[in-house]
Amino acid sequence: MSPRHHPSADILASYATGTLDPGFGLVVGVHVGSCAKCRAQVSAFEATSGAALNDLPQAQLASGALAQTLARLDQIRFRPVAPDTRPLLERLPLEPKRWVAPGVWVAAVNTPRSAEDRVYVLSVGKSALTARHEHSGAEFCVVLKGAYRDELGVFAAGDFAFADSDVNHQPVVEGDQDCICLFATEGRLKPHGLIGRLAFELADV
Amino acid sequence: MSMLALNDGPSRILTLPRRKSVFVVVNSSELSDEDLLVRIGAGDRTAFEAIFNRYAPRVKSYLMRLGAGAAAAEDLAQEAMISVWRRAASYDAAKAKPSTWVFVIARNAWIDRLRREKVALAYQLANPPIEESQEEAPDAAVVRRGDESRVADALAELSEEQRQVVRLSFFEDNSHSEIAARLSLPLGTVKSRLRLALTKLRAHWEQYS
Ligand SMILES: [Zn+2]
Repeated sequence: MSPRHHPSADILASYATGTLDPGFGLVVGVHVGSCAKCRAQVSAFEATSGAALNDLPQAQLASGALAQTLARLDQIRFRPVAPDTRPLLERLPLEPKRWVAPGVWVAAVNTPRSAEDRVYVLSVGKSALTARHEHSGAEFCVVLKGAYRDELGVFAAGDFAFADSDVNHQPVVEGDQDCICLFATEGRLKPHGLIGRLAFELADV
Repeated sequence: MSMLALNDGPSRILTLPRRKSVFVVVNSSELSDEDLLVRIGAGDRTAFEAIFNRYAPRVKSYLMRLGAGAAAAEDLAQEAMISVWRRAASYDAAKAKPSTWVFVIARNAWIDRLRREKVALAYQLANPPIEESQEEAPDAAVVRRGDESRVADALAELSEEQRQVVRLSFFEDNSHSEIAARLSLPLGTVKSRLRLALTKLRAHWEQYS
């Protein structure tokens, strides 16, 4: 099933041009990987970028850059690398899971933490309540497994959700499966309620 | 070009006498970028030099705009051009223009560098789809793209002004007000143009899905 909730065009444009912060790029990349429509749009932005590349001023290269590069061609041995076909959840460099409430765990994605951005996986079981929270900055989310529902509808595997300071929502798990999502957030979340406080303060994601 | 030849390494291809003779007569400067990439795919270093001279300074410029320092940008630009050499055999002119293909390689080199330096995560990590086939080779993300003619159709719907605004915001990390000043346009015009351009592009893609 193809995703029904997509990133906005400006998010896809930033992704395509390489200007999106990498944690956010990771979240968008998961969606794009499972959405043919957004992949096509990213391709259009890449073509725009390719055309723009031709118009960029030419930077001064180091003297002997060409000779140096040709020498590097000789040194490098190319060997094929087998694609990593494990599910995304297994490929993500996750910190150990922390259970923060019955049925709820959170694991930071192992990135050197910047002062403000956080990248983490949150799993919420069927009967658990999620935190109502507000955002002080942008939050990108992609559903990896299961589904949740909030004011905007049902979000299932591959669906992308964007929230910013205007949003104050309380998602609930939809269906019988645990719902596992990958998040990148900018700024500090202001969680309300017990699980929110546990997840974002005790678990230190 | 078979994968076998690629795996053996391009330098070994040059040792095959029958391939050498192909490159003798043609002056690289008369060839299109598409032709040059095809030749690079067959191990032609003269063609590589022509592509290097054309793209390496622009790739360096792009990388510096992304935030790389001059030295890192220089090194990465060289690395990107080495990837061009490595991957040229898989270049397909029906799928992407040379400039688009080189751009994607340069962008991925930047993201890959971020990952290697553990400053942040790579896009590559996210590339294999959740539910789709994962049979792709590691380089496939570079090649996997929409048909170039469809991309051209999408781009053709943008006005020149919209394209210009998009380009400025893509590459120069300009705030909307900087773009407005640069183009001598009211700020509101820049914002609405950018939004319109993006919306148009999206609408175009929706008609294909
Ligand atoms: Zn999408």
